Amino acid sequence: MQWVKICRQSLSSTVNTTLTVALSRHKFIRRSMASDAITRFDFLVIGGGSGGLAGARRAAELGATAAVVESHKLGGTCVNVGCVPKKVMWNAAVHAEYLHDHSDYGFDGGHVHFSWETIKTKRDAYVSRLNHIYRNNLDKAKIETIQGHARFIDGPDPTVEVNGKKYTAPHILIATGGFPSVLSDNDVPGASLGITSDGFFELESLPKRSVIVGAGYIAVEMAGILSTLGSKTSIICRQTGVRTNPGRHIPFMYPTNTVFRGVACTRGGHKKACLILFTFPLQVLRNFDTLISSNCTKELQNSGIELWKNTQVKLVSKTSNGLLEVTLVTKDPEKKNEEEKIGTIQEVDCLLWAIGREPNTAGLNLSQMGVDIDERGFIVVDEFQNTTRQGVYAVGDVCGKALLTPVAIAAGRKLAHRLFDGKEDAKVDFSNIPTVVFSHPPIGTVGLTEEEAIKNRGKENVKSYKTSFTPMYHAITTRKTQCIMKLVCVGKEEKVVGLHMQGIGCDEMLQGFAVAIKMGATKADFDKTIAIHPTSSEEFVTMR
Amino acid sequence: MAALCRVRHRWKRTNCIKLLTRNLTGTFDYDLVVIGGGSGGLACSKEAAQLGQKVAVLDYVEPSVKGTKWGIGGTCVNVGCIPKKLMHQAALLGTALKDAQKYGWQIPGPISHNWSTMAEAVQNHVRSLNWGHRVQLQDKEVKYLNIKGSLVDEHTVKGLTRTGKEIPGAVEHGITSDDIFWLKESPGKTLVVGASYVALECAGFLTGIGLDTTVMVRSIPLRGFDQQMAGLVTDYMEAYGTKFSWRSVPKSVDKLASGALQVTWTDKQTGKDQRDTFDSVLWAVGRAPETKTLSLEKVGVKLNEESGKILVAADESTSVPNIYAFGDIGEGRPELTPTAIKAGKLLARRLAGQTNELMNYDNVATTVFTPLEYGCVGLSEEEAESRHGKDSIEVYHAFYKPLEFTVAERDASQCYIKVVCKRGGDQRILGLHFTGPNAGEVTQGFAMGFQCGATLTHLMETVGIHPTCAEELTKVNVSKRSGLDATVTGC
Repeated sequence: MQWVKICRQSLSSTVNTTLTVALSRHKFIRRSMASDAITRFDFLVIGGGSGGLAGARRAAELGATAAVVESHKLGGTCVNVGCVPKKVMWNAAVHAEYLHDHSDYGFDGGHVHFSWETIKTKRDAYVSRLNHIYRNNLDKAKIETIQGHARFIDGPDPTVEVNGKKYTAPHILIATGGFPSVLSDNDVPGASLGITSDGFFELESLPKRSVIVGAGYIAVEMAGILSTLGSKTSIICRQTGVRTNPGRHIPFMYPTNTVFRGVACTRGGHKKACLILFTFPLQVLRNFDTLISSNCTKELQNSGIELWKNTQVKLVSKTSNGLLEVTLVTKDPEKKNEEEKIGTIQEVDCLLWAIGREPNTAGLNLSQMGVDIDERGFIVVDEFQNTTRQGVYAVGDVCGKALLTPVAIAAGRKLAHRLFDGKEDAKVDFSNIPTVVFSHPPIGTVGLTEEEAIKNRGKENVKSYKTSFTPMYHAITTRKTQCIMKLVCVGKEEKVVGLHMQGIGCDEMLQGFAVAIKMGATKADFDKTIAIHPTSSEEFVTMR
Repeated sequence: MAALCRVRHRWKRTNCIKLLTRNLTGTFDYDLVVIGGGSGGLACSKEAAQLGQKVAVLDYVEPSVKGTKWGIGGTCVNVGCIPKKLMHQAALLGTALKDAQKYGWQIPGPISHNWSTMAEAVQNHVRSLNWGHRVQLQDKEVKYLNIKGSLVDEHTVKGLTRTGKEIPGAVEHGITSDDIFWLKESPGKTLVVGASYVALECAGFLTGIGLDTTVMVRSIPLRGFDQQMAGLVTDYMEAYGTKFSWRSVPKSVDKLASGALQVTWTDKQTGKDQRDTFDSVLWAVGRAPETKTLSLEKVGVKLNEESGKILVAADESTSVPNIYAFGDIGEGRPELTPTAIKAGKLLARRLAGQTNELMNYDNVATTVFTPLEYGCVGLSEEEAESRHGKDSIEVYHAFYKPLEFTVAERDASQCYIKVVCKRGGDQRILGLHFTGPNAGEVTQGFAMGFQCGATLTHLMETVGIHPTCAEELTKVNVSKRSGLDATVTGC
């Protein structure tokens, strides 16, 4: 079957490159025909998450036989423990905010009560519905689903073993994603008493007292949801501490030679692991534009979240009532002579580590395969998603840059086009990737921060426009949030290289502006656009 | 609604009439007199004042037939965009209350909506905006005159504090959108006559706050908009609880002894008369230009006889060279606040000799704030077809399900995206249409891309933002011509 299919493909193909690819594959299949124990595909994908599924489905559409190896549930981080259930919880929290505003808008209602159990059940049901949809999509596309852990084995050609069975393909894609970092009990005694964002989605009831460790977007989102739903929440920020992996939280990539707050970017945007001392104000989301990080910090505090700055968890212990006691050390590095302060938070029923994400590469046996990983364990790929081993590719979170579902999907699809559609140049453009943080209110950002633009182009060539206002929604509510917006422009033509905002509706506002910015829009183009009234987004086209 | 005279004026008081005229030495007290303190007039006068001109604004609100009266700021602030969006917001919160229960919020007992609480809050906000406008005028040293402007000659404006407006003797039982936002009490069971965006928006928020609402449509809804999208908007409203009386024309309205209004209408399909009673009848059958008291004919400003609007050139000038008109009163101009504001500012800059830039009335994006919001920019599918030919356009579309609808178990059949492109080449976008939550916020950015000349490729090359509704626009890939199922499945 394989043989016939490939011959037909090579015959029907008029593209030279496809022909060569097909012919070399043809040769390869003949050579390994002796071993019957190996199942062969054109395209073998390890990992059934956003990137892997998108790549496999596109490859199948283009005529390749494809298989997906998945050890857990289809859909990966996004569907199971990421974007989707997170946004469902965010929506539940947004309802809590609406409920505050109902009486201002004339609704008379009684006392409301939140049932975590209800939303958990419905969320789980929705997620498993999606798992089924993904399975059906694979079946419909005639893509084989192989359940189990994949492991590369020795051999002349890359081969994968799953549950004792061997599979090979001329093109193997690693799309195994990542998982939340944890600290061991050796690092912090009692650390394992805490959970991560994965565990958040397993919580059966709303915690009364939550402690979130971390200051990245995941920490901000988790803290926002818990607090808005009624949990007393604290965020523990290490702040001026050492960050060896700034790229981990950075949702977009910077051009080569960009200097990122003292970290020189090397080839292809991979940043060297450096020890950096941050001297920025004590804030969350420090990789974002300072306007965003300061405003987000303010919004968190306004909403009643307690922020512990310059603080690390020293010890976690379980008390007799089954709750946790978290011991914290606070020390301001600016004040060298000051003593460390010890504090505790008691009766904690949810300690959540949100200190970064790590690649899922354990057990793949990559080192034997000649697939290089970087200092942080992420797989090294070039701009075409090639790893250092020919015939082996990687997309998505496992590569450690732009950890976002749509980026993984785009990378998987582009790769499929490159391998099976003769589109030699197909690759993802990592510039101007828009991203949203589902904080309260949400944050939207695309392109460079003002600081990056200044580093890049010099202060004299950068001009930024800012505005802040109370959205009209709040005109008649007692509860208020601000909307802040910033455009970062460079050069005489005032090309817009960055757009940053936080406020109600910013999650849905960003996409269209991202299209325009990717097209190279200038401030004049913004000015030329007629506003849509009354919206918040119109403020971007009426800025002065 | 702004007509202006670029002359130097002075005014003197004669009883209740204020007269702006040239003095004996031939100099003028004002560089610019703006008649109408709405969005356009205010924007223009403030801009002109900032550029060093001496400016006066005349604004006087003629009470509606029902006696509703309001302050400076024009339609948008007082009886348009602002109160409309706030009441739309209230209606969305009504839907949110239902959704919240699916999201785990237990809300005991029946929820009722109190019109007075909402209306008072909205009206107070509008009053604060009126005040804000007055403060701004003062800060910018624009003279504000609460009088009605009328032209005496091309260089003279007469101000009236009392007008000869005829109050119809007949008892009008209806209200208009001018009144609805200023009602102290709930309008109750309401019949909305008309299917313009004003009609549908009003009917939408009335339904949303729990009132029994019927829309009476003579021909088609949202004339001028893409009709497939218009259909989705009204389909959603029907599912949402708004009743529609299609192809019907009202015949009579009678006030019953109970105070209720008995409406008789003819169903054009069956030819039969039908009858029902309502607490309120809201007429939303179009908006009329406010020209009656301007005495335009006296100074030779030409009007379109049919529409009654002022004929204007690309630079907003009228048939009298020093008199300009823009905003809702200009013939063929979009009746939208942002276009009026922008046109006003540009006019002020041109008059002050700062620029030659003309207002570009193409590529104007707009959003209809119906229960399911509809945002669009560029051509409707029908218009694209008639301009370019069916074979020269490609229409990409998608039915998508907003994530917020899934847990809430809401029907998403009307959440739809349509991108009308030129066929072939780089598939330049001719029109972009979106129904769904937050359509206003979604559309603005895309309108910008559209302004920059976006193609389908530009959309597809932009990385999506997950999970949002707006990202669906970057994923659209099924053409109508292909006949393939346009339902979005999974991420």
